[in-house]
Amino acid sequence: MSRNFRDREEFQMDTKPSQRTGSQKFRYFFYNGDSGEILGRTPESWGKILIFYTIFYAVLAALFAVCMVTFMQHFINPRVPRLQQEYSVIGTSPGLGFRPLPEDVRSTLIWYKGTGYESYKYWEDQLIDFLSVYKKKGQTAGAGQNIYNCDFTNLPPPGKVCDVDIRRLDPCIDENHFSFHKSSPCIFLKLNRIYGWRPEFYEGVNDLPSDMPLDLQMHIKNLTTYNPNYGNMVWVSCQGETPADKENIGPISYLPFPGFPGYFYPYENAEGYLSPLVAIHLQRPRTGILINIECRAWARNIKYDRRERLGVVHFELMIQ
Amino acid sequence: MASKESLDHGRTDSYRVATIGPIKDDNRTADGQYKTRRKPPAKKRKAGDLDDLKQELDIDFHKVTPEELYQRFQTHPENGLSHAKAKENLERDGPNALTPPKQTPEWVKFCKNLFGGFALLLWIGAILCFIAYGIQASTVEEPADDNLYLGIVLAAVVIVTGIFSYYQESKSSKIMESFKNMVPQFATVIREGEKLTLRAEDLVLGDIVEVKFGDRIPADIRIIEARGFKVDNSSLTGESEPQSRGAEFTHENPLETKNLAFFSTNAVEGTAKGVVICCGDNTVMGRIAGLASGLDTGETPIAKEIHHFIHLITGVAVFLGVTFFIIAFILGYHWLDAVIFLIGIIVANVPEGLLATVTVCLTLTAKRMASKNCLVKNLEAVETLGSTSTICSDKTGTLTQNRMTVAHMWFDNQIIEADTTEDQSGVQYDRTSPGFKALAKIATLCNRAEFKGGQDGVPILKKEVAGDASEAALLKCMELALGDVLSIRKRNKKVCEIPFNSTNKYQVSVHESDDPSDPRHLLVMKGAPERILERCSTIFIGGKEKVLDEEMKEAFNNAYLELGGLGERVLGFCDLQLPSDKYPIGYKFNTDDPNFPLDNLRFVGLMSMIDPPRAAVPDAVAKCRSAGIKVIMVTGDHPITAKAIAKSVGIISEGNETVEDIAARLNIPVSEVNPREAKAAVVHGTELRELNSDQLDEILKYHTEIVFARTSPQQKLIIVEGCQRLGAIVAVTGDGVNDSPALKKADIGVAMGIAGSDVSKQAADMILLDDNFASIVTGVEEGRLIFDNLKKSIAYTLTSNIPEISPFLAFILCDIPLPLGTVTILCIDLGTDMVPAIALAYETAEADIMKRPPRNPFCDKLVNERLISMAYGQIGMIQAAAGFFVYFVIMAENGFLPMHLFGIRKQWDSKAINDLTDSYGQEWTYRDRKALEFTCHTAFFVSIVVVQWADLIICKTRRNSIIHQGMRNWALNFGLIFETALAAFLSYTPGMDKGLRMYPLKFVWWLPAIPFMLSIFIYDEIRRFYLRRNPGGWLEQETYY
Repeated sequence: MSRNFRDREEFQMDTKPSQRTGSQKFRYFFYNGDSGEILGRTPESWGKILIFYTIFYAVLAALFAVCMVTFMQHFINPRVPRLQQEYSVIGTSPGLGFRPLPEDVRSTLIWYKGTGYESYKYWEDQLIDFLSVYKKKGQTAGAGQNIYNCDFTNLPPPGKVCDVDIRRLDPCIDENHFSFHKSSPCIFLKLNRIYGWRPEFYEGVNDLPSDMPLDLQMHIKNLTTYNPNYGNMVWVSCQGETPADKENIGPISYLPFPGFPGYFYPYENAEGYLSPLVAIHLQRPRTGILINIECRAWARNIKYDRRERLGVVHFELMIQ
Repeated sequence: MASKESLDHGRTDSYRVATIGPIKDDNRTADGQYKTRRKPPAKKRKAGDLDDLKQELDIDFHKVTPEELYQRFQTHPENGLSHAKAKENLERDGPNALTPPKQTPEWVKFCKNLFGGFALLLWIGAILCFIAYGIQASTVEEPADDNLYLGIVLAAVVIVTGIFSYYQESKSSKIMESFKNMVPQFATVIREGEKLTLRAEDLVLGDIVEVKFGDRIPADIRIIEARGFKVDNSSLTGESEPQSRGAEFTHENPLETKNLAFFSTNAVEGTAKGVVICCGDNTVMGRIAGLASGLDTGETPIAKEIHHFIHLITGVAVFLGVTFFIIAFILGYHWLDAVIFLIGIIVANVPEGLLATVTVCLTLTAKRMASKNCLVKNLEAVETLGSTSTICSDKTGTLTQNRMTVAHMWFDNQIIEADTTEDQSGVQYDRTSPGFKALAKIATLCNRAEFKGGQDGVPILKKEVAGDASEAALLKCMELALGDVLSIRKRNKKVCEIPFNSTNKYQVSVHESDDPSDPRHLLVMKGAPERILERCSTIFIGGKEKVLDEEMKEAFNNAYLELGGLGERVLGFCDLQLPSDKYPIGYKFNTDDPNFPLDNLRFVGLMSMIDPPRAAVPDAVAKCRSAGIKVIMVTGDHPITAKAIAKSVGIISEGNETVEDIAARLNIPVSEVNPREAKAAVVHGTELRELNSDQLDEILKYHTEIVFARTSPQQKLIIVEGCQRLGAIVAVTGDGVNDSPALKKADIGVAMGIAGSDVSKQAADMILLDDNFASIVTGVEEGRLIFDNLKKSIAYTLTSNIPEISPFLAFILCDIPLPLGTVTILCIDLGTDMVPAIALAYETAEADIMKRPPRNPFCDKLVNERLISMAYGQIGMIQAAAGFFVYFVIMAENGFLPMHLFGIRKQWDSKAINDLTDSYGQEWTYRDRKALEFTCHTAFFVSIVVVQWADLIICKTRRNSIIHQGMRNWALNFGLIFETALAAFLSYTPGMDKGLRMYPLKFVWWLPAIPFMLSIFIYDEIRRFYLRRNPGGWLEQETYY
């Protein structure tokens, strides 16, 4: 403003700029023949401002890049997360995941016509795809030699991973169409991986929580009496959500066990690591009705809250 | 312009419009009933009513015989109205008070605040939220509450800011309320033969009222009896001389005739009795007030700027919103998602807190101005003075003290300067010479003015005086020089007196001597100097009486001309000792047919009076001039007086000549002088009448120093319009009712708090509580400062818009988890940014803002493309980079490396997916992912706060280095601490994760923004360094806002 003052005569009144009609203004905005302005600026002015902003943004991008690179190089290890378990937002209580997943990512409904192959083909393909890494583990780079034959007494050394033998899941195998065609589908469950997380197992039968389904308790009792080491598992139970669902769901069998063996933990991002799986075989679910199913993982350090979806997974099944 | 009619009236003489109509009306209905009725106050006064208005005042009350008048009102000159009749009239006509100008109903004001500005945009956002929620609720079993929640928050934000601005507005209008309830007026009324003292409001038509000097006329009255009655009509007509009033009908024009006195004018002398003929809004005063309220004022400059700015921002918001709505569709998003994007973009784009910030800034300035005696009625007018380029100032009372004061005396053949300063710190003079003593005696005795009672503690110059202004000036001067005037008068008993009249132009009184040994009477006379000189044969010089020869007459003439040339009112004084043999004690002096000599008197001297300029005014005028503001004097006074005052206060600066001066210097006729050569001009009212608008424009354009003298009050309006036609923003000062149309028409009308009439205060936007022109300069300074500071405040607030919008754009275009949520955006706009933005209003000026010209309202916008370019294009981008850096850091530390984030938005936001894999093979549940996302929101929010520290500091100055400016603005320093504390509070308070979805941050997550904060600071310091080094350079043209 002060720069104008010198050029201006003292008290010179400001006069209104020439009045143009709207369409004229519009036209002059695109091209003003008097001053050679295009879109309000002369080509020279456009050039200058573009150069300025190009340099400005180039410098800004460089600054951002320098910050990013410095951070990534100094603080981030590509194999080990910087923040783990309670220091990370992921926490220390893993959730559960199920397969197959519906096509729409927002849906958890497994729906098919019990008789038509076309109808359950999608689900079958999904599962085949999901299980392909378990099948082809020998072919994936580096995975083959890492495989270790784990046991409850024979924990894998660092860098080795335990094997998951999906053939033991029969009848939940692809040759059997995962039993979908018999209107008794298999749903696969897996516990979410959390780097470094170790389950705290229930110590003996008396340590089992009271809200654990009785059939699971019975099962654990049987297993641990057979071999106490088998108690070192993260147990899994599935049931219908409502009393009606409980009735409709029918008998369930868990394959190979109703739980994930403890020797798979901790997950430490080892090459070729495979999550342990539990296939739940719904043997005689009622058809023609929607069944809400909730599966829960059991360990002393897995929190459970149905509203917050802690330690559970929920899906619906509908077979027509 | 409200309508064509009001435009037409605006151009004509204001009170004539209201008073003289084209059609004669006998003011009776067809059946002979008296028809002047008060209009119901609620009735809207439309332009069409103005004609009605004109006719009604074409009254005949002054023409009819008193008897007819009494009959018409069923009243009696001695007994007055009956109580019953008075009550009936009161019920019919309503109280005798001016209807306040039509107020916008409170609920309309409230709705304006609730739906004006950005509120409408936010309402749309809120409604979209509710619709989205409604649809979700009807289609999904467990709808997410987010949209409902956001809708409620948005609605609450709009309502709260609406209530806030409404509250601010009503608070500032309440200040005015206090003015309305001024001291109630009382009037002495005769009803049923009894004298009653009633409130002026209770007067009705036909009441017989008694008025005495010092009173305010309670209604329009026809005078039926008067004793030496004089009224001051200045507030109505601008004539400052008191005018005598009596019972006789002298003129067709109601304003000129002697037998009418008008509502709210003042009685200065004598007493009178009259019949109330018009009440309330039907009075002449009421009509002018009505006319003024009919004038449309238009928007204030700052309101224009704010509207311009709102349009700009709304345009950007709608454009971006709609564009991304469409892009979202093209990218295959569900339409509900697209609506949610739209809401997010609107919320991010609208600076929700900004209008409240502007209101608070203006309020703060208004408060500061009020403490400096500028009371701002309309909040937006705070800035108007700052952009004012022309001030049309009244002379009397604003530039001058409105107090006739003796300025010079001429005796013993020399001119003596008297002290006219307000505090009597000026020159002293010899009070012992015989010449002065003789002059003082005449001035003391031949003087009817008296101090009003009960003013013992008041300094002499400030005491109120009953009587004529020049006599009052003499009285005060003598009281200062001699002491107790009253006792001197007592000792020199007045024997007889011939009062001043316009044919004689002198005033004579005869007194007994205070010297008991001297039996002679003393005759003293004062009057127009030339008339006095004619009656003298001798002159008293140096203690001796000399023959008044040609040489002495020459000396007298020179003195008279010199004093007259100073614009002073000159009085001549002479006396005569009457021989005691012819006029002994007890001699019967006859004043009707003077039986004593009035010729061959002894001339003593001259005294000249002026209404001196206020002490602070020359300085204030000089400041205005250096601030590029043209000060035009508009006065009803005589051109010579006006010019003298203009010269003494600097409105006409030294060395600048008018056309007449040039003509006199070159000794050529005025017509031969090129008007362009003269910088100054004194324009006479009669000249102005002859000019067409082009000629007036020319005068206003080519003369830098203009005085309009002898202007009729309505010409003020023409002058104001002329200035506005040339594109000036005009401030008008005035105190009279006649000024009120000009006050209303002006961009900012400034009324006088002490001398001003109620009507003028009502029409004005600002009131000078001390009536001092110098206070206007304060107003200009504050106005300019607030304009600069609002720019800074807006630049600061707008900058954070980019880091608010960009997360949304990245969310849509790059499919990454949302880096910043709508709630956190609101926390910035309405939380952390508010106090610092307000604190910028306290920033001191960078340079002397009174040394630059007023802003050009057509180019110097509040928000211009350079400000947007700086805020959005440069600083905002750095801030956005800081935010994204923090976002990527937190994501990477928790397991999601940057490259992994692109494209996972769909899975990320899906509740169905409970095992989303990160870069380390870990699997995240929906709940944990969201916790991570909200942690990122919080961190993004915190990093905006961090970079806003630097932004606040760079916004303190637009050109200077921060090292110059310093950090002495404690409100701003508090703002820095406040925003940080608030951010920490929002992040760390337990429960915030549930309430606002804000999660506690690790301390190190405050740090990633710091390199960006520093680079903002360094970049802008370098930019401003370059600006200072290359004034007017390319960088300034592109980035100086």
